[in-house]
Amino acid sequence: MRIAVLLSAGRHPVSGRPAPVPVELQALGLALGLSDEVTGLHAGPDIGPLRDALGHGLPRLIHLASEAEDDPVPGLAAALASGGFDLVLAGRAGQGGEDSGLLPYALARALGLPIVADAVALAPGAAPGTLIVEQALARGARRRLVIRLPAVVTVHPAAPAPAPFAFAAARRGIVDVQAGPSAAEPARPASEERPYRPRPKLIARAGAGASAAERLKAATESASGGGRLLVAPSPEEAAGEILQHLRALGLLPGR
Amino acid sequence: MTELALLLSLTVLAMVAVAGTLATRRALLWRIGGAAKVDWAAGLLALPRRYLVDVHHIVGRDAYAARMHALAAGGLIVGSALALLGLVPALGDIRLFWWLTALAFAAAFAGGAMVGRRRYPRRPARLSGGRFQLLPFLLAAYAGGGFLVALDASLGGALWPLGCAGLAFAAVGGLGLALQIDRGPMRHAFAGAAHLVAHPRPGRFAGERATALAPLALDTPRLGAAMPEDFAFNRLIGFDACIQCGRCEVACPAFAAGQPLNPKRLIQDLAASLQPHASNATYAGSPYPNARPVAGVGGPGLPIVGIGAMIHPDTLWSCTTCRACVEECPMMIEHVDAIIDLRRFQTLELGAVPPRAALPLMELRYADEPSGRPLAARTDFAAGLPLPLMATRGGADILLWLGEGAYELRYGRTLRALVSLLHKAKVDFAVLGAEERDCGDLARRLGDEAGFQRLARANIETLSRYRFARILTADPHALHALRNEYKDFGGAYEVVHHTAFLDELAATGRLELGALSEARVTYHDPCYLGRYNGEVDAPRRLLDRLGIARLEMERSGKRSMCCGGGGGAPVSDIEGERRIPDIRMAQAMATGAGIVAVACPQCSAMLEGVTGERPAVHDIAELVLMAVERADAAPARTAEGVA
Repeated sequence: MRIAVLLSAGRHPVSGRPAPVPVELQALGLALGLSDEVTGLHAGPDIGPLRDALGHGLPRLIHLASEAEDDPVPGLAAALASGGFDLVLAGRAGQGGEDSGLLPYALARALGLPIVADAVALAPGAAPGTLIVEQALARGARRRLVIRLPAVVTVHPAAPAPAPFAFAAARRGIVDVQAGPSAAEPARPASEERPYRPRPKLIARAGAGASAAERLKAATESASGGGRLLVAPSPEEAAGEILQHLRALGLLPGR
Repeated sequence: MTELALLLSLTVLAMVAVAGTLATRRALLWRIGGAAKVDWAAGLLALPRRYLVDVHHIVGRDAYAARMHALAAGGLIVGSALALLGLVPALGDIRLFWWLTALAFAAAFAGGAMVGRRRYPRRPARLSGGRFQLLPFLLAAYAGGGFLVALDASLGGALWPLGCAGLAFAAVGGLGLALQIDRGPMRHAFAGAAHLVAHPRPGRFAGERATALAPLALDTPRLGAAMPEDFAFNRLIGFDACIQCGRCEVACPAFAAGQPLNPKRLIQDLAASLQPHASNATYAGSPYPNARPVAGVGGPGLPIVGIGAMIHPDTLWSCTTCRACVEECPMMIEHVDAIIDLRRFQTLELGAVPPRAALPLMELRYADEPSGRPLAARTDFAAGLPLPLMATRGGADILLWLGEGAYELRYGRTLRALVSLLHKAKVDFAVLGAEERDCGDLARRLGDEAGFQRLARANIETLSRYRFARILTADPHALHALRNEYKDFGGAYEVVHHTAFLDELAATGRLELGALSEARVTYHDPCYLGRYNGEVDAPRRLLDRLGIARLEMERSGKRSMCCGGGGGAPVSDIEGERRIPDIRMAQAMATGAGIVAVACPQCSAMLEGVTGERPAVHDIAELVLMAVERADAAPARTAEGVA
């Protein structure tokens, strides 16, 4: 199985220094658990500490050299299309850049591939050309899917830690620099940059005089979005439920 | 000369020939090792002194063993040499000469008897069995037989029936001993001598502590030691020098805690790996506690560490690098160097660090701090205290190196006490603040030499920008790195530990100390201050100035026991039966002290982590501040009274 792992130019969240993105290294760890034919791909002006991915077991890294303001999607899409990869792995979101997590979706659209988000474990499927993906859902829930390859899969931070860094492996690994096609990024809406500030968690208040158990329940369950859990519903039932939910949110015209 | 005496001389000659052949065969195996710079002439010249002074100094800690060894080895060597000289006709015909020879063999026999008394009827756990249990009999047979033959010769053959029996004993015992020379207990005799000549740390014999790790050239094709040939040849000689006395295992904190490390067994596994088609089956000492199963096979060209090899990785990661084994080793073997060499290969080549140690090394790589905390937060402990910054001052008399402990709430109190004392004594000092990176100790002990060298170079670059006379630190690990290990990268500094510095301030009267009379205090020596740097007196002198009752633990000074916090052991976290700090705290409690004085952030954290009823843990700086405040309080009251 030929696997491409997308590596982005990250920054350490505290020191602000260039650093690999941990979740992308975790994606690399999952890839190496599946196959030996793993290639790292980075589009950007500078490879920097992404070389360190070689120390985490990546055998080969392709650097698509481009300008900082170029859009990485066309270059990556071309490289992925010509590389004949069965699986494209990416992190859930970068770290220290825009961190929008949209690039895998943009790539999947450009390549015409399905995309599955938030994998925490991967295994080859029983039928050839399939992959079993364990997907992380909210509050620790997991869902197992079988998908047909090729596909794009993003990896969740709950995935197992990558192999530790080995200096000599990083020294030995190969970085292949290729010129990426230059493509100006589409104009973005003007945005404002502010330092990140964690939002306070909204905690539901239990009524006055509530018991300790009730207050604990209120405090711990506030994050839940409500809704109903349907286990193995029929497609019609599931679709009806989704439509009903969207209608309740006012996202679909009411009937 | 009697015919029996001639036959004895020939027996000794045969022994020497057999031993020489076997020893040469073994010595040829050492050639697979890497090159090392050895001053052979100086080493050979220094051999008698190294043996009679340095080795004896360590052996002599066990008076029985020292007497036993002096008699057995001295008698054996002198007796055999005289018996050989007896082949010279002019000497062999002198009766007095044979009488002297008999005396020497008698001494050797007494030594052999002492060996036997130590091993029978019950062998102490630290001594190895197997071939070693045969040793007293071989010694007694050879020495006793030699004695009878020489006695007979000194009397001109009057005791010939006894002499005949003696010759038979001497031949059996002597050849038995000679056949032990390449793999048995007698190997330590010739390998030990070679080890003393070609010792990898000759400074140890010149009064230096010589404890800094050797830097690793990061462009060598294979980093660290994977196979026996990756060790320098003089390291291989060192492994062969082991006599399996087990003093290291008695001293080893990981062994005491039931973690799978036994320094003796480790050295034996390394020595065994030297032989082609090696196996660890002949080892007959105490095992690794809770040993993880390994194949136990190896040899040149084969890996040493791994499930399918000689040594389980958990054994390597159990070590706290406290050097207690090295301090106790009468053959002056460098166990810790071997462990670090093996760790370097695991970390740098295989990336096989323990799972929990990978994260601190990663954070060090991208944030210069093992927990990924902001460097600027290092000075948060001093909130409300003036803390001059080097960046604004440009220079100061003293550069205060804060270390990793500064981030920790408990140790922050110690540093606050130290900073308060510096202000009280009007010391001109400054800190690096956000410019201080981790010193690299953790990375280096975990085998990440690349990470250590990067941090060392970066810190040296920062330090070169400021003017200061001395570096002051409360962290012995940082002290050791800055004082001894940065030298190899161009950073030579005068580094002083806070206990020595406060002692100096008190001696020159810059700190007025009151008395903490009621306190009963025992001092726990940090390994990196006491054993690594030999500083055991200044902290005690300082404590004595506080007017306290100072109690000594059974293991103290350079022979102190580790708290379990060194060498990355807390992050490697290898499972054992007990915790090392619990063992150490029990030793402290046995003195009846109410306070354990510490002088290291690691010791402070490890000992504070002991649960249950126990003495309080205070850094010496905190105790000194208490004494200074008491001195301040006393005159203040009288002043008020006068007013």
